[in-house]
Amino acid sequence: MRRYMLGRVGQLVLTLLIYMTLVYFLMQAMPGDISQMYLANPRIPQAAREELKKQLGLDRSPFLQYISYIKNFFTGNLGVSFSQYPKPVWDILIERLPRTIVLFVTANCLSFYVGFVLGRIIAWQRGATVDHIATVVGITFWTAFYPLLSLILIWLFAYTLHWLPLNQFIEPALWTRAPFTSNTVFGYMVLGIALIALAVFFIFWTLRRGLRRTRRSAALAWGMTAGVIGLAIWIAHATGTLIYIWDIIRHMMLPVCTLTLINFAGTMLLMRDSMLETVQEDYVMAARAKGLPDNVVRDRYAARNALLPTVTSLVLSLASSMSGGLVTETMFSWPGLGQVLFRAALGNDYPLATGALVFTGVFLLVAHFVADLLYAALDPRISYTGQPAEG
Amino acid sequence: MNELATSPNVRQSNGEGPRFDPGITEPIWKIRWKMNMRSLAQNWEVFKESRVGMFGLMIIIAFGIFGLLWPIMINFVWDPLVYHPVVGFDPIMMHPSPPVAGHLLGTDPIGRDILAQLMFSTGREFLLGVLSAVISVVVGTFIGAMAAYYGGFTDTLFMRLADIVMLFPFVPLLVVIGSMMRLDIFSFAVILGFLEAFGGITVILKAQALQVKVRPYIDAARVAGGSDLHIIRAHIIPNVLPLSFLYMMFNVTAAIVSEATLSFFGVLNIDMSWGMMIHTAETAGYLFDFGKYWWLWAPSGFFITLFCAAFYMVGRGLDEVVNPRLRKR
Amino acid sequence: MDALLKVEDFTMHYSTKAGWVQAVDGISFALNRGQSLGLVGESGCGKTSIAMSIMRLLPYNAQTKRGKIYLGGRDIYSMTAEEFRQARWKEISMIFQAAMNALNPVYTVGSQIVEAIVEHEPDTTEEEARRRVAELFDLVGIPAERSDHYPHEYSGGMKQRAVIAMALACNPSLIIADEPTTALDVIVQDKILREMEEIRRRINMSMIYISHDISVIAEVSDIVGVMYAGKLMEIGEADDVFKRPRHPYTYGLMHAYPSILGDKRDLATIPGEPPNLMAPPEGCRFNPRCDRATDECRAVEPLMTKVAPEHSIACHNPVWAPSSGGEQVGVAR
Repeated sequence: MRRYMLGRVGQLVLTLLIYMTLVYFLMQAMPGDISQMYLANPRIPQAAREELKKQLGLDRSPFLQYISYIKNFFTGNLGVSFSQYPKPVWDILIERLPRTIVLFVTANCLSFYVGFVLGRIIAWQRGATVDHIATVVGITFWTAFYPLLSLILIWLFAYTLHWLPLNQFIEPALWTRAPFTSNTVFGYMVLGIALIALAVFFIFWTLRRGLRRTRRSAALAWGMTAGVIGLAIWIAHATGTLIYIWDIIRHMMLPVCTLTLINFAGTMLLMRDSMLETVQEDYVMAARAKGLPDNVVRDRYAARNALLPTVTSLVLSLASSMSGGLVTETMFSWPGLGQVLFRAALGNDYPLATGALVFTGVFLLVAHFVADLLYAALDPRISYTGQPAEG
Repeated sequence: MNELATSPNVRQSNGEGPRFDPGITEPIWKIRWKMNMRSLAQNWEVFKESRVGMFGLMIIIAFGIFGLLWPIMINFVWDPLVYHPVVGFDPIMMHPSPPVAGHLLGTDPIGRDILAQLMFSTGREFLLGVLSAVISVVVGTFIGAMAAYYGGFTDTLFMRLADIVMLFPFVPLLVVIGSMMRLDIFSFAVILGFLEAFGGITVILKAQALQVKVRPYIDAARVAGGSDLHIIRAHIIPNVLPLSFLYMMFNVTAAIVSEATLSFFGVLNIDMSWGMMIHTAETAGYLFDFGKYWWLWAPSGFFITLFCAAFYMVGRGLDEVVNPRLRKR
Repeated sequence: MDALLKVEDFTMHYSTKAGWVQAVDGISFALNRGQSLGLVGESGCGKTSIAMSIMRLLPYNAQTKRGKIYLGGRDIYSMTAEEFRQARWKEISMIFQAAMNALNPVYTVGSQIVEAIVEHEPDTTEEEARRRVAELFDLVGIPAERSDHYPHEYSGGMKQRAVIAMALACNPSLIIADEPTTALDVIVQDKILREMEEIRRRINMSMIYISHDISVIAEVSDIVGVMYAGKLMEIGEADDVFKRPRHPYTYGLMHAYPSILGDKRDLATIPGEPPNLMAPPEGCRFNPRCDRATDECRAVEPLMTKVAPEHSIACHNPVWAPSSGGEQVGVAR
């Protein structure tokens, strides 16, 4: 197990290096000499240029430049942004990254869950009206032009109905008198939500694990969940951060919903197809013959096994859902990596664009890794040696 | 049942000779051609069963007709000065104009007819989607077949490469590339095609090719003295083709969405496309009054979604051809 | 005494695009508590369809045309789905054709058996159920600690044993074993068959064995039913049927297998192929392949008639053989 993990992390670092190399050469292949652009940028004062030149190794051979680029990344130096001079790229990205992570993780988990549940239902009722409707609606959202979809949702919920705030991360008017900075609150919020999620996971893990899922254990689990959330809200209230957290959450809702709408159908259609295959397996018929209730046969037999290929495809589609996420961020002026990346690209801020691209890659790598571990946990046939077991 | 997945075209011509009159004088290519046609017809029978697939196909045909209308309309019916999608301008009225008699879908802020723009762009969307999908599938199939057949170093090389390419978030990457290089429609299609080819599609097609590789007729072909290239070309590739074709459909969808997104951000050097139309409306600020100026975004947005959905649906229909277990029992 | 399982004139067809497949046509038999019935026939003759009909596990395109199936006196097709669900495994359980795939790969084998026990005996705690699993594993000859392993960690024979243990989990009064040993090699096959038979006798359970292999059936059944093309051709006490096969099809079937113990002889074959069940032949379904077929056979469908106290056949021209055994049987024209 430990060897497997170490090997996997080693692979990860290697992949990252290759990815960074590719990004580097991509940037080098761009028309125009980047180092010249760097040095000729009017926003950078003359005095700083020499210093910068040395720091980035621009005065050396391309190979040494490449080495210093890699070295600089691991020491946290990605250069200085053109457009936000003299702010270092690293600082900008570190500030933005958590917001993207939160948005991405929330939306992906939500869309995966929604897709999983819907796919399970429509596969079980194959050929029924609900199957046809869900398939058509799913394909529509899945292939929808997402910048436009975001615009429609903004127009509908924020502009016309006034249910949700229009764009941005926070409501500036509310925060001018706030005793905290938005990043502090956001940090605590993320920490709090992570703790709640962990607690809820453990509650359900201990109470609902066995085969005998009684109504009492369900009530207990849900009650404890409500208690944990209530406690968290009380703590937030006591520290006076509740209204600010609520403000951030309100601003998150629209982008999360958009991303969920874009992504859920992919999972749903995959889940449907893969479950149509598992329902024909002998163990599903055996489960029926055993006299298990219909929903148990569906959930613990057909859907549980259909989950495996669905998760595999999810791993493969992480990058494309990241693409959608970054575009959506831009549409909602959500100050995350995507917005930075697009602005930097459009404003020819090469260091920032490179940095954002590398960060996105790192993030996706980690996401891949987590998804792989998840898959190994879901499928007992995969042993930690990385080889599928015999049988 | 599943004709293509069990190599009918090659196996029958080699092994099951008695089915054919040994005295036939037809050249071998003609026989191959006939058999390909027959397996195509069988697959078509299966595809026809899929309502979603047929629906998608009909939409694609409708788009094709719509696209073909452009040269006819501009040469014989419309006045190029008024309707030209890139330079036309109708001086008679205020722009943007809602749908009126002369402009069935209204005009955009700089006085060009929306309908003409849609029509003009259709052909180019086809070109873009099909070109990039064909590149990705041809390259992906070949690499997948090679990796599966040779294994070892070739396999490791391409599979690790695919792992990395799959890490690339295409759209942001293309935005970065596009903002620096101002890609036109051809180079965009080529870049996209190659990016897709080296990524997930290789992995999927390789898995399929691996299943083909262990079939007995591959050994038979090898024993009969077939060269590696011959085996890949004549035995492995024909058997992964249906799956390639399926992914081609999905890649068309991906290409169109990417193009539209990049056009929307204004980083492509394309003078007219559906994404560009929304971009024009957005940069002119008309999207803030969303409901009022609906004709600026709705037709093109609808076309993008419908076009992508159509190819996606055909892909789902093909899925039932490739994967018999999905068919209606 | 009321029969445990009674099938009366049961007829079930599959609807396909090309037409109705007459998979099971007018089958009747009865099985008492503690008896074992062997159903034998070529592949595609409707053996498995009959098993699935008794389990009410037919695919969506199957349609029962007429006839009834009584389990312990209750008509199973008039029970509600929920009632029958509760009866499954408690009263009637099944050993599946492909035991390899009958176990869910993502759960341990033990927990899949516990699941069934807990479902049908709500008063049992999980602990008790686990103890029962250990006993069952002991019974079928798997080390009890293997119950915490996943199916892919089992060998083929062990999976088969585990599936048998699963079928025994709720002490059913009837087990249907559909090709229980086909996937195994002959030696393991024989061992498992003997063990199953021993368990069956010990707990006085009824059993239906389904196989295409007449030697398997001969080894374990009290009653033998021979099926051909969706119809029952001959049914009777095993000894009688094997010593004096009356139906030409049974006769052919018995001589199509080599005997390890008996004298060397040529294997008889039955010419032709089983009929297309969408358009079965007029009259007796076996007539195109039967060397005793007459015009009557080609026109009139034979009815089940008793030829001995516990022995019936559906044939116009049965083989009347002397009682001494297979080898000397001459088929007189």
